[in-house]
Amino acid sequence: MDLKLTEEERLIKNTAARFVDKELISREGDYLRQDAPFLAPGAPARRRLPPEVSKGLAERARGVGLWSLEVPETLGGTPLSTVARVLVHREFGRSILPFRPVSIPAFLFETPYGEKLASGALSIALAFEEAHKTGELSALQMLYRQEPDGTILRDSSIFVSNSGADLFLVPAREQGSDRLGLFVIERETPGVTITDEVDLTTDATVARLILRQCKIPNDRLLGYEYEAGEIIASEQLNMAARSLGIGMRCLASSIEHARNRVTFGRRLAERQAIQWMLADLSVEIRSCTWLTLEAAWRADQELTYFEEAALAKKRATKMAFQAADTAIQIHGGYGVCKEFPFEGFYREARLMRLLYGREEELDRAAGEKFLRQ
Amino acid sequence: MDFRLSPEEENLRENVERFVRYELIPLEPELANAPDIFEGSRWKSRVKSSEDPEIQRYVAMMEALERKAEERGLWHLDVPKQYGGMEVSNVALIAVTEELEKSSVPFELGNHVSNILYGCKGEQVDKYLWPCIRGEKTSAFGLSEPASGADPSMMQTTATPDGDFFVINGTKMFPTFADVADFVQLFARLPATSGRNGVTCFLIDTGTPGYRVARSIATIAGTEPCELVFENCRVHKSQVLGEVGNGWELNQAWLGARRFQVGIRAHGKSERVLRIVHDLVRHDDKARDRWASRIGHFLGEAEALKTLTYLGAWKADQKMDVRAEAANVKLFATELLHRVIDFALEVAGPSGLRKNHFLARAFRHARATRIVEGPSEIQRHIIQRGLFRDGIVPLELL
Repeated sequence: MDLKLTEEERLIKNTAARFVDKELISREGDYLRQDAPFLAPGAPARRRLPPEVSKGLAERARGVGLWSLEVPETLGGTPLSTVARVLVHREFGRSILPFRPVSIPAFLFETPYGEKLASGALSIALAFEEAHKTGELSALQMLYRQEPDGTILRDSSIFVSNSGADLFLVPAREQGSDRLGLFVIERETPGVTITDEVDLTTDATVARLILRQCKIPNDRLLGYEYEAGEIIASEQLNMAARSLGIGMRCLASSIEHARNRVTFGRRLAERQAIQWMLADLSVEIRSCTWLTLEAAWRADQELTYFEEAALAKKRATKMAFQAADTAIQIHGGYGVCKEFPFEGFYREARLMRLLYGREEELDRAAGEKFLRQ
Repeated sequence: MDFRLSPEEENLRENVERFVRYELIPLEPELANAPDIFEGSRWKSRVKSSEDPEIQRYVAMMEALERKAEERGLWHLDVPKQYGGMEVSNVALIAVTEELEKSSVPFELGNHVSNILYGCKGEQVDKYLWPCIRGEKTSAFGLSEPASGADPSMMQTTATPDGDFFVINGTKMFPTFADVADFVQLFARLPATSGRNGVTCFLIDTGTPGYRVARSIATIAGTEPCELVFENCRVHKSQVLGEVGNGWELNQAWLGARRFQVGIRAHGKSERVLRIVHDLVRHDDKARDRWASRIGHFLGEAEALKTLTYLGAWKADQKMDVRAEAANVKLFATELLHRVIDFALEVAGPSGLRKNHFLARAFRHARATRIVEGPSEIQRHIIQRGLFRDGIVPLELL
């Protein structure tokens, strides 16, 4: 065993850490303060990065190899190992600023869309609603039928986040054979409507992708069962990694605040109620850190890792939720102020617990598998 | 980053895996009805004085296993090379215990040698260390007192120098197996010292005048810890283990070394308990449906415990400070095991509460582990102390 980072891993981790400190955390003040005190009653509490800031960040991230982590060398990128990707997302998790590396399933770079995805000219959203419920696609309702002149997708309505994307990756099962296919659907395809955009608890939105009599060329079938599994596992690892960043930031800030804040003549750091919250949180951060890294390492070694990724995601997102809750509690009034990042982490972690497999469903899947043995 | 065992470690693990499959698991049906004494790992101390033929039958079975393990070179894994042992890494030891724990047969690959005895010097080596390694002598550990348990720095037992001797006065609570041990590793403080200062460790033979075992105390865990009384017990200075006044480090070392074993044992036992739950519900569709999700939850928690344990053992091999990791593992392991067994009892229903039922026995045993060798509250205290001392640095990647 050797749990030290390799030189390469350390290098990319440090690059990401510097970028997050210098470019993201330094901008949090402006971002968090915007329109916070004067929201109209009922207005969505949605905060946005000004487009020019977003664009600038993307350029600088591209400059240091952090814009997208999957782009292959042939398209001008440096694809990272799964462990390195986890390290990067862990650093980005430390900032509440809504900017992070774009996550594009690697197999798409081998398709006609590859070049434009790599350059950022096209963006893609994953329409994996079913996977959010259960963490897998075995109960997927969406059906397709291939005919000589094109593929017919059954009429349906799927929730998607990032609904402003140019392309949507939609999983469907072949009528009759049950074979899983991943289709790229262009936004402008006849029969495709994006509607009912609603605010989420985070600063993101979700909308309905509605397909009505949608027929697409047969060559849009670009991936199969394994690619779908890999996408889910990879998204789970990204979320687990992000959760680790949230956990570390919340823990560090809470320790600092508890050291300085005095109540009734004693520092919070001397109060057992506070000490134990932080002790329990640090145990969770430790265990989640190594579960996540081990799952990522297994992926790099081409060992099975889907279950490990699901477990890492389940525990880490819950840990992040607990971390944000603890930070809010220890920061008191400041904790619930929108000028501080903790309430944002809290909302984000709450959402992540529902993405790519709810806790109960992942537990149930693991338990049922064990009971079948 | 590499999570694999080294080739030698993997080879050892495979050997133990085979040993467990071909030697231990076939014995399980017979051992299932063994007396409570055989629960846990330290049954040897207790059974050696028993004349009960039933117990002796089990002892013979275990001794035959020992010979087989020795023949296969699976003996004295954690004993240093200079004492003829294999001195394997902490990680290897965890991997081995993980395999052993797949069977409910309470078998350890080596005699139980208190790790601080490797600090024996001069005649102490032949008198205490070697006999312990060979399994001829057993020891007890006298640290807690009636008024100092979780915080041993409050100990009141004194060792007053008197020429070449020390005179020991005081009472020790809960040394396990002291009534059958050959000697006790006793911690006492020099006069006019307090806190961690002046604590000294003595090796005191059973039968030394002034030292007596006042009573043994039955506990729910099946162990019978004792109360020891020292009244003007004169001990020669050659019986000091290590240096006079450095006993605090020794008791910390003794506690620290055991944490990761506690972790991997709790992991193994959790999995065995979940297998029992598996067998209870597998043929009942309704029960499967009712419990699957919680079973899945506990399987995941056991995985997390295993990861934490290997991390700690690896850091210990790198000679890093593992106080926080050790506390993490002890806390996580004992709390988890307790919850898992509590859950299993819920599934099993009233039948699981029969006194000799595996689950009832495991439950009683597990309850005690949340207290002995540093209760959960002390582990949390150690963890928070580290956090306020070093911040998040020890949680960073390496």
